[in-house]
Amino acid sequence: MRKMRIAAVAAACLFAVPVFAAAGCTKTDETVVLRVANWEEYIDLGGWGEDELIELADGTEIFGENSVVDDFTEWFNSQNYGFDVRVEYSTFGTNEDLYNQLNLGDVYDLVCPSDYMIMKLLAEDKIQPFSADFMDTENPDNYYINGVSEYIDGTDESIFGQYGWSGIAACYMWGTTGLVYNPEIIGSEADVAAWDILTNSDYEKSVTVKDNVRDAYFAALSILFKDELDEINADENMTEEEKSAARSELLNSTDKETIAAAEDILKDIKQNVYSFETDSGKSDMVTGKVIANFQWSGDAVYIMDQADEEDTELWYSVPDESTNLWFDGWVMLKDGIDGNKNRQIASEAFVNFLSRPDIAVRNMYYIGYTSSIAADEVYNYFDWCYGVVTDPESEDYYEFDNVYVYDVSYFFGEDSYIYIDMDTVEVEGAALTHDYDDDDYVAGYPVYSGGTISRGRQAFTQYPTADIIDRSVVMLDFGDDLAAINQMWINVRCLDIVDISVTTVVIVAVIIVAIAAAIVLYRFRYRIFYDRPRRKAM
Amino acid sequence: MTKALKLRFNRKQLCIPYAAFLILFVICPLLVIIYFAFTNGTGQFTFDNLVNFFTNTNTLGTLLNSIAIAVVTTIICLVIAYPVAYILARSKFKKKYVLLMLFVLPMWINFTLRITALKEILTAIETNIAVYPFLNTIIGMTYDFLPFMILPLYTSLSKLDKSLTEAAEDLGANGFTVFMRVVLPLSVPGIISGVTMVLLPSMTNYVVLDMLYNSTYIMGSLIGSYFAHFDWNNGSMISLILLIIIFIITLATNRFNDSGETAGRNLL
Repeated sequence: MRKMRIAAVAAACLFAVPVFAAAGCTKTDETVVLRVANWEEYIDLGGWGEDELIELADGTEIFGENSVVDDFTEWFNSQNYGFDVRVEYSTFGTNEDLYNQLNLGDVYDLVCPSDYMIMKLLAEDKIQPFSADFMDTENPDNYYINGVSEYIDGTDESIFGQYGWSGIAACYMWGTTGLVYNPEIIGSEADVAAWDILTNSDYEKSVTVKDNVRDAYFAALSILFKDELDEINADENMTEEEKSAARSELLNSTDKETIAAAEDILKDIKQNVYSFETDSGKSDMVTGKVIANFQWSGDAVYIMDQADEEDTELWYSVPDESTNLWFDGWVMLKDGIDGNKNRQIASEAFVNFLSRPDIAVRNMYYIGYTSSIAADEVYNYFDWCYGVVTDPESEDYYEFDNVYVYDVSYFFGEDSYIYIDMDTVEVEGAALTHDYDDDDYVAGYPVYSGGTISRGRQAFTQYPTADIIDRSVVMLDFGDDLAAINQMWINVRCLDIVDISVTTVVIVAVIIVAIAAAIVLYRFRYRIFYDRPRRKAM
Repeated sequence: MTKALKLRFNRKQLCIPYAAFLILFVICPLLVIIYFAFTNGTGQFTFDNLVNFFTNTNTLGTLLNSIAIAVVTTIICLVIAYPVAYILARSKFKKKYVLLMLFVLPMWINFTLRITALKEILTAIETNIAVYPFLNTIIGMTYDFLPFMILPLYTSLSKLDKSLTEAAEDLGANGFTVFMRVVLPLSVPGIISGVTMVLLPSMTNYVVLDMLYNSTYIMGSLIGSYFAHFDWNNGSMISLILLIIIFIITLATNRFNDSGETAGRNLL
């Protein structure tokens, strides 16, 4: 009877939990609770210092006083949407964590996974497409579709257009993968121009790799297919489209032989590198524990900024073979939106708010990643960060001897370039051209342009050159081969019995024998030491 | 009178929160683990996960690696802790509790924080900690688990009746004989509980390895990585195997320990 009562109380407790939880969710009709899940440290949280005010060339002032989420709530509730919104903002650490949370029953309206996870969610029919209103370019308040770079979304030729993500996902941040390195300690610049620095014994125990199966697999495939990739890059008979397709096919291969070959390479990498890291990489790089560090471009900018404050100059290199072009995008989830019109309106308003140029700049400034928005304010911000001041009236103006014309037209539209002072920032691979007279300011100064640039500082890291983009590859979802690749990764990370050396086996055997001997000695101590039988009453 | 009866009745009910806790957080998860361990992705009964574990040289290697790390850590902890506990227990120094506290003090500081600090210290000594990963792991583990070895040893040694050693000396035994025949046998319960408290957690403690061992997995991180890749089945099976190993070790030490009390466990 007593047992039953305990069981009943326990059962009551069990049932009470969901009831309380459900009660907590009940809300009034006027307020929509928007459940947003984003990456950690992936949005401006406000609280800027007074000296952090961004004053762009055209007079725009941008300042993050409150968090973007609070600003959104305040802005939304002041508009005539007919209802109020309250944002429940939560964060996740990896795409896989987010996916696990969704599968375990967490409900979100708006999440920000990466490209491949968007594909996976799309294949599982979990994504609620954006409405036609959201994609309407006529409405000036649609900051996303009007602001997003044509290279990323909005046209059929854009990346999102090509992969069929247009209208499904709204790109938030994007970038490449590469190596952050310290040019003063690195042996030769050529070493960071290839992914095989990870297996290069000259850099034994001094490079870190991301602890992430996809990034590690990409690096392994780049090493595995190095010759093929170099051949494609050098081929003059192929068109850019053909090259792109060939690279993409190589670096997205997931057949059994490739996985097995990648496993071997990754085991070599594991032996050679300092560690696979999740977040220690940034501090290890700044404190000088490692020379080079496999990074996403956004984190690379953050690390370089940090290092600059410590007076250490770090560079970012995109290896010659290829780079992983990645995108993080906002998607609405069917489970969360659940046909609720207001919730969808609020979600779309949230994405549009994040895409408002000044908010995009605030996020870029705060997190170091590159926004998908190509509005004038973002371009001016880019110029404000890295370009020389060409207006003699400005107090920041100074005389320079030669400039590099850094072309980012692929992203911001035609004739978009900034001038980088070659005296303060050297640009690797820059070619000198004197006949550049497009602009009055730089006439009379030696002007560098063209050439193939694969290494650079923050400007290059945030917006790589067009030819880096040409040789980049979007890494697709592994699909059905996911399990095989995950198992491969676990194998890499484990200690294989076959790899245990003979000396280790001998040492272990000796230790075991020693322990066994000690136990035997202890057990028969009476017979051995005192030569008489053990007393019964001990 | 009736009031007193009622109180006594209520006292039994005081265990209800614990029972609820036990059911919610121990029994239920265990059942879930057993369910997942013997099913595949589609929910069908299978032994594949068990076969997978024992046929993959990588997972078996990880098991061996974990055991090796745990055993070496335990031995080193024992070798360091026994003399310390012995001296502390025998010393007439009045402030010995202060000394004892010094050994226990690191336990009050967050575990991850301590290992981060240790990483910096080791880097200062070795310049590159990735060169001796196994050594660093053992140093990190020992650093973390030493108090768990000292305390039980100290408790069992300080409870030791001094008249026994005095009697042995009076009867002509020398120092070594006294130690071997009186002190050591009487401290076995302390050794056993110290060993259990170090050996079992150090088999799964992956934070140290993540920081100091070139990110090679041990059992804890292996299970975690299966879970991270949505593979609940293989992960659960490895948890179950680990649970069985721990159960066997506990059973073995308890048999060994039948005569003695569980010295010092209540201290922690």
